Amino acid sequence: MSDLHREIKELIIDALGLEDISVEDIGDDQTLFGEGLGLDSVDALELGLAIQKKYGIKIDADAKDTRNHFTNVASLAAFVTAKQAA
Amino acid sequence: MNWITLEQLLLKAQPDRAVTVQPALNHAQLCEQALSLAAGLQAQGVQRIAVHLEDAADLAIALLGAWRAGVSVLLPADLQAQTRQRWSIEVDLWLTDQADDAHLSDYQHPPLPASPLDLDRCQLSLCTSGSSGEPKRIDKTLRQLANEVKALEHLWGADLGEACIIGSVATQHIYGLLFRVLWPLCAGRSFVRKQLAFPEDLQRASREHSAFAWVASPALLKRMGDNLDWPALSAVRRVFSSGGALPADAAQSLHERLQQWPTEIFGSSETGGIAWRQGQNLWQPFAEVALSQDSDGALLIASPYLPAGHIEHTADAARIAADGRFELLGRLDRIVKLEEKRISLPMLEQALMTHEWVAEARLGVVQENRASLGALLVLSEQGLHALRNQGRRTLTQELRQHLSQHCEALALPRRWRLLRQLPLNAQGKLPQADVETILLAPRPKAPEVLEQIDTDGEWSLQLAVPPDLAYFSGHFPQTPVLPGVVQVDWALSLGQQLMDLPAKFAGMEVLKFQQLVRPGDEIQLHLRFDSARSKLYFAYRNETATCSSGRILLEAASDA
Repeated sequence: MSDLHREIKELIIDALGLEDISVEDIGDDQTLFGEGLGLDSVDALELGLAIQKKYGIKIDADAKDTRNHFTNVASLAAFVTAKQAA
Repeated sequence: MNWITLEQLLLKAQPDRAVTVQPALNHAQLCEQALSLAAGLQAQGVQRIAVHLEDAADLAIALLGAWRAGVSVLLPADLQAQTRQRWSIEVDLWLTDQADDAHLSDYQHPPLPASPLDLDRCQLSLCTSGSSGEPKRIDKTLRQLANEVKALEHLWGADLGEACIIGSVATQHIYGLLFRVLWPLCAGRSFVRKQLAFPEDLQRASREHSAFAWVASPALLKRMGDNLDWPALSAVRRVFSSGGALPADAAQSLHERLQQWPTEIFGSSETGGIAWRQGQNLWQPFAEVALSQDSDGALLIASPYLPAGHIEHTADAARIAADGRFELLGRLDRIVKLEEKRISLPMLEQALMTHEWVAEARLGVVQENRASLGALLVLSEQGLHALRNQGRRTLTQELRQHLSQHCEALALPRRWRLLRQLPLNAQGKLPQADVETILLAPRPKAPEVLEQIDTDGEWSLQLAVPPDLAYFSGHFPQTPVLPGVVQVDWALSLGQQLMDLPAKFAGMEVLKFQQLVRPGDEIQLHLRFDSARSKLYFAYRNETATCSSGRILLEAASDA
């Protein structure tokens, strides 16, 4: 697991207050919302805010399908990396 | 604007009047499709239908068409199997977006002739959870709905002008139905078909219209970030918020960003709108709403949005000011709202207690980034067995799974505290504030001392090992046992509390761990201090055998 993947998993656990779930329990490609980890749309809103705050990046509100970045940990990590490089 | 009353919406088709965009639908097309549906429903001999449609324009067609055909409409909150079963005997047909149900596109019949709708015979039923947690049906006539949209237009119609109505809330519930569909239809304002749950989508939709207004919920409004183009969004004509309380700091933040206060609506499925406020603490009742209170301070509502003569007894405590405005003081029952969803704590507690692992359960709200439920549990024998042999995570996941048959995912407890017994007060009650305090506290790290006896300088303590001890999670996730290092630490710290011991830890001798100590165990701890050797002797015993023993070497804090 890369450091960024681990960090994002920790962020998910902390920001969403998940109990009895550890970093090892979240797969890089596991779907976060709906089935999968079982998070809902309010978690998606919370996570959007937490990611922007933690990494000092902004989700481009005018781009289409910004929420696709939130599919799983791997897509979030790719999004954060791309945004930080930009 | 040219206002058409709700009952006359199908009377005269107006091709120049827009209803919605993407794809565009004008009023004449709306009428034709509604009248065509009406003809089809009549031909089928249908009396009552359930409607659940994502698209607000489709919903408008379905409602008007059904009413024109004299068909009553039920709006279920969702399409889960249990919901369908609950209402199946009360409806003849399900009109939804799902494959096995009837669809609007099935109805291509020659339209019925236009005609006004009967204000008292057209029926709409909304669904919400009652105080027992059981789904509850609330029947309304078209007259009640017509009275409400008229009042809304009177208050805010001029401000809104030609604003396109953009919504983040579902149209299955009273607020979304009135604000996103029925009111704009009557006013001739266009509306966005889809529910937009994310701020980015709301922004993109807003940019497409020169004038726009939002029908939003606290869930969205309190989570709008700095990534949005606030200067552009500040053109919003009005920001409506309803479904639950909007926190004051969220209202303040919207005011700073948009230079206007959100317009909050207080109401319920039963009563429709009761009052509104904008940047104030006190609520202003709608013009035709009459308020009174019962002896507990609960609001009593009489209103033209209720059936004639009906007085609705709410569970909202309030203080009514001299000018007729009022302050809300909280609920008088144990119904809570999480992200605008009404949740009955007693219902979920009962559902939890039907599981064989649970002896007692109490729920409370944990206020963190998002509010969620937390559960205090006393486990049954089987529950304790499951905890010891499968671990805490398996236990909580099984209970979440069990509860998910009774409630939405949003209501599943996210935090669990396993207790030996509920800490009832002298009156035999566990106040809600205490429940919430326990839920916010960290998991325990110390044993519970049940008894301590001193015999000639030797101490014998009866200890209970908390089922939820913080150390169990990592040691080990599937089979929690009390770590040896924690046993040594407890022996030393309890010894220091009871006896006059040298302060400094200097080592350990002859440590033996023979039996596992597990969650919920009651164990005895023997402590004896040999001052000549400066050693603390400890031994933990369960009912039948020694669990562990050893000696802790101590020395006086160095003088250096």
